[in-house]
Amino acid sequence: MPLLSFLDRDHSIADSHFSRWLVPPAALAIHLSIGQAYAFSVFNLPLSRAIGITQSAPSDWKLSTIGWVFSVAIVFLGVSAAVFGAWLERVGPRKAMFASAVCFGGGFQIAALGVATHRFSLLLLGYGVLGGIGLGLGYISPVSTLIKWFPDRPGMATGMAIMGFGGGAMIASPLSTMLMSHFRTPGSQGVTQTFVVMGALYFIFMMFGVFSVRVPRSGWKPEGWVPSSAQRIVISGSVTADRAITTPQFWLLWMVLCLNVTAGIGVLGQASPMIQEMFPGAISVGAAAGFVGLLSLANMIGRFFWSSLSDYVGRRAVYATFFLLGAALYATVPATGRAGNVALFVLGYVVIISMYGGGFATIPAYLRDMFGTNQVGAIHGRLLTAWSTAGVLGPVLVNYIREYEIAHGVAKADAYTMTMHIMAGLLVVGFICNWRMSPLDTRQFADDDAATVRVST
Amino acid sequence: MTDPTSFSRPARPAPPAAEPQGSLVVKLAIAWSLVGIPLAWGVWQVFKKSLDLFR
Repeated sequence: MPLLSFLDRDHSIADSHFSRWLVPPAALAIHLSIGQAYAFSVFNLPLSRAIGITQSAPSDWKLSTIGWVFSVAIVFLGVSAAVFGAWLERVGPRKAMFASAVCFGGGFQIAALGVATHRFSLLLLGYGVLGGIGLGLGYISPVSTLIKWFPDRPGMATGMAIMGFGGGAMIASPLSTMLMSHFRTPGSQGVTQTFVVMGALYFIFMMFGVFSVRVPRSGWKPEGWVPSSAQRIVISGSVTADRAITTPQFWLLWMVLCLNVTAGIGVLGQASPMIQEMFPGAISVGAAAGFVGLLSLANMIGRFFWSSLSDYVGRRAVYATFFLLGAALYATVPATGRAGNVALFVLGYVVIISMYGGGFATIPAYLRDMFGTNQVGAIHGRLLTAWSTAGVLGPVLVNYIREYEIAHGVAKADAYTMTMHIMAGLLVVGFICNWRMSPLDTRQFADDDAATVRVST
Repeated sequence: MTDPTSFSRPARPAPPAAEPQGSLVVKLAIAWSLVGIPLAWGVWQVFKKSLDLFR
């Protein structure tokens, strides 16, 4: 369609005057928008009182039912990233970002219709399915472009974008609250109007990213930059996504991401009740919300800090730090709770969650080191299934072990100790997986790949 | 007498004019402000809420 030809890869190739520093804001526009997903829980209570208004009516949706909307969105994030990764590499980031904006913004509108007509299937289809596809496409679309623009600092570049995903919730949470307050009437929670406005705002904001993203010309490299062979496991060629998933390196990285996310995501979901139960009487609901806020900040800053650091010390060293320091912190933090030391407890979790965010942000650069630049977006998309898996595994571990402990007479304040020790054990397994990472054996590739794969030693 | 073919000769494309440095700086400032201001607002909101933890 000629009208949409500006979305073609050919029309997004940068001219010689383009500054690569215009690409991170384009990526951030997408990630700050789709990061809204982490703040979806602010709608839970209003949605559960859509009919009863002041309290839930019998015909209102249950909180456990509404919880499915976020879960389905995260599942579709992982699935769409895996399925559409190769398409993204073919058509370029602009078209994929546009598709993401249409799905994410459009998903809000369908969800609004679902709330207005009180049809849960429409809410699930809009935000969960369509919005989830928007999340997946938006998450991976700027990453490979940034890696191509910043071959000298891929960790920092992808860290900037993925930091936006962590920061998106910080914008969305107060914005949603403000909009619902504005639209609330005696007969409505204001969620429908809030969804309509947010969908439109996010679509416009994401279009800024669509219009401003550019891909580098073929053969472009930063002025004066010479590829470094300082890091032993960096390859100088590229491996296709289909080949990458047949290598043990891909599955070791899958485990690395899955275990790092599992350890963090369960704690993030339970942060508020956990700190209140570990310090009974000392931490109010407001203070617990402050703790959750601090963890969000740590999550965001960790994404930029750790991935940038990995450009200097290497990806394997950074992940080794995540797993060793994380395991040590998980093993010792319950003791700070028993000692009643809130400051040390908070500090421990701030570091843990910074490493959780850092794990997300450093993985694209790790993939680029292992498999090269050409199909890193597609490979990254397939690796994100580890996130979906961890999204189920982490909360299940934390919630069920806690319930099991309490059911067996353990005090609430001590019910998290076993979980933390299991998390420490998972991180030790992650350390072993990371330690076993080695350069690709180029002999295992057919002619098409072997021609481009060379390992720097 | 002028060579008639000279009129049909395609003109050599002019070398692309270098974009003024100032224009690029403005573009960069606008792009980074568009994402930086909402992000800073969000961080400030969270920071204010976090203070409750230490009161």
